[in-house]
Amino acid sequence: MLEYEGVQYKGFRNIYNEEGEATGFQVGIRMIGYRGAWLSEFRFGYIEVDGEKFLADRCTFVVSGVEYTYEETFNLGRVKWPLNEAMIVRVQKPGGLAQGSHTVSALYGQVASYVPFGSGELDINQKPGGHGHSESFGYTREMIIV
Amino acid sequence: MSEERKVPKRGISTYCFYPQLGVNMDLEDIFMHMQDMGATGLEILADGIIPGYPYPSEEWLNKWFGLIKKYDIVPVEYGHWVESRLYPGQREASLEESLEQLIRDIKLAHYLGFTCMRTKLGVISETLDPVSNWREIIHEALPYAEAFNVVMQPEIHAPTKLTDRMVNDYVEFIEKENTKYFGFNIDFGVFQNKPVPEMARFFREDRVSKPEDIIPLLPYVHCCHAKYYNMSADFEETTIPYREVIQIMIEHGWDGYLLSEYEGPHKEDINHCIEQVRRHHVFMKKILGQ
Amino acid sequence: MSTSQKPGIHRGVSTYCWYPLYNVNMTLEDSFEIMKDMGAHGLEILADGIIEGYPYPSKEWLNKWFSLCDRYEIVPVEYGHWVESKLYRGRELNVEESLEQLIHDIKLASYMGFTCMRTKLGVIDDKLTPTKIWRDFIRRALPYAEKYNVVMQPEIHWPTRLTDQMILDYVEFIEKEQTQYFGFNIDFGVFTTDATGMGMPPGMELNPSKPEDIIPLLPYVHCCHAKYYNMDENFEETTIPYREVVQIMKDHNWNGYLLSEYEGPHKEDYNHCMTQVKRHHVMLKRILGE
Repeated sequence: MLEYEGVQYKGFRNIYNEEGEATGFQVGIRMIGYRGAWLSEFRFGYIEVDGEKFLADRCTFVVSGVEYTYEETFNLGRVKWPLNEAMIVRVQKPGGLAQGSHTVSALYGQVASYVPFGSGELDINQKPGGHGHSESFGYTREMIIV
Repeated sequence: MSEERKVPKRGISTYCFYPQLGVNMDLEDIFMHMQDMGATGLEILADGIIPGYPYPSEEWLNKWFGLIKKYDIVPVEYGHWVESRLYPGQREASLEESLEQLIRDIKLAHYLGFTCMRTKLGVISETLDPVSNWREIIHEALPYAEAFNVVMQPEIHAPTKLTDRMVNDYVEFIEKENTKYFGFNIDFGVFQNKPVPEMARFFREDRVSKPEDIIPLLPYVHCCHAKYYNMSADFEETTIPYREVIQIMIEHGWDGYLLSEYEGPHKEDINHCIEQVRRHHVFMKKILGQ
Repeated sequence: MSTSQKPGIHRGVSTYCWYPLYNVNMTLEDSFEIMKDMGAHGLEILADGIIEGYPYPSKEWLNKWFSLCDRYEIVPVEYGHWVESKLYRGRELNVEESLEQLIHDIKLASYMGFTCMRTKLGVIDDKLTPTKIWRDFIRRALPYAEKYNVVMQPEIHWPTRLTDQMILDYVEFIEKEQTQYFGFNIDFGVFTTDATGMGMPPGMELNPSKPEDIIPLLPYVHCCHAKYYNMDENFEETTIPYREVVQIMKDHNWNGYLLSEYEGPHKEDYNHCMTQVKRHHVMLKRILGE
């Protein structure tokens, strides 16, 4: 099941390599909306943790167990990020996140052909919160790394 | 080969989220949180977790084993009840009636991969004395527990004290039977020495066990309810002397599972419960030096 | 399900009423249970978010769908879908690509028992004018709509007015093609006289359509979004002249479903959404004389 919030608490943890070193972290996001996104219509701004922004080039995106780079999603007009699933964003950050509380924001969106405005990339300077160019979602949540 | 230091292991009880299950979370969601926290040990309350309990479908069993594998879960303790007032007018169930329930749960717990059971016996007094025929029931069940390799454990829960007569009776029974298949789950609430503001009326100042009271019982303890009522923003439990208790456990080489069990206020608030359990595991990792 | 056979105005619900709550704290079956409580049989789904695995549901999910519709006496009325014009960066989808999406949805809607579709077209301006190629792919989709017996319906939604050129274009198209398989879903938001709770962007005028503007369109309308923004404690919608609109529909012997669609504030609050939809159906029952 999903949590109501756009930024999902479950799934928030560091990622380790086979040597046991933290290479980054992951966080789940979901659409608080009424339809999922064809991957070619998915738009990503950033994941931000305690003021540090991670853009698409440092992230990969896991949908239904399959991991994609942002560029790979551009032509996937027949693969859906289902509404009832969280997308896991895996973020490269050597050492991972420190144990304790973090402020985590995510800016992402979905192109909507049926609304008049926007179909471009998200403005990475946009704060999470308000609507952007497309059907954009920006959320912030306080979460703990154990 | 250097001997590895024995320390307790971390896990959680589904009790932490009980009013949320089927409302806005399911068992898999709990497993996801456990994976995030590196808390591998699981206690379930069998009745509420197993759809169709006590007769789960083949379909659910397949799902169970799939999820256990996917999230690297170690099934530790299977919480169940031996109902002593099942029918109107009944005060204590007969030996046969009790045994039937118990054997059924032993077999199911084993099949699901559990190695301990939190065996809740019917009680007959305010201080939670068990039904008068508990010795007969457990005695008859021991060969099954042994055959299916699961340990039956009453939970020692406040207002019981670790030095109470009842606990002595259990120890005496274990030694007389010379069995490893009956033991204790010590609920850390027995050490609570400060009231939780919202729940002050439940606090019994005269019923606080001392941390060292656990020492003679440790050989019989296979897992504990790591009870928490209030995890502060700086990752401390404010009502239970955790550090002392866990230090004693480490000194005595106890390496069973500490199963988080949240019994504080606001269990209706899923975000509160998630935050509390995360804080609890930050706290335990620090104490355990992880 | 005799209600669906009788002429007249029938009540139903769109899953839009609860959209942010699915898979958080409710399921499709929960919506059906609520509909049964209200005696509202007609259903609109937003196919994308409701059909698991959309656009390729499993046989298992489809079996569940039919079983739930049967058990809760649901009449599948409208299948909400989108023809994505901005599927790929830097170009608009062509006729063949649009048609491919549309035909797939026509077939799936029909298989699931729906008789109408809310066919959302890509737009090119603030008045929601559809993409230039809409006539080309709708014309080519008409034989499929006819064969599978589902009516494609753009939704006429505020800020569009019922007297806009776009509507005239649609009517002209319908008459030229002489088809019964293209029509309208009139969203009652077009009649809104009070923008409270609508979240109207700054600089936009409300400029509502008049209730009687619906009259010339009624022959082409198969179902409506009975939009509501604010149902008060007296079971009245405070922003839309429901009584006038529904009276006109009755006077013109309109047959079809009014599908509740909540677009007011606090959609995150399950209890609020429940109260609003129940109030809405009390109002509709009173107006319809049920």
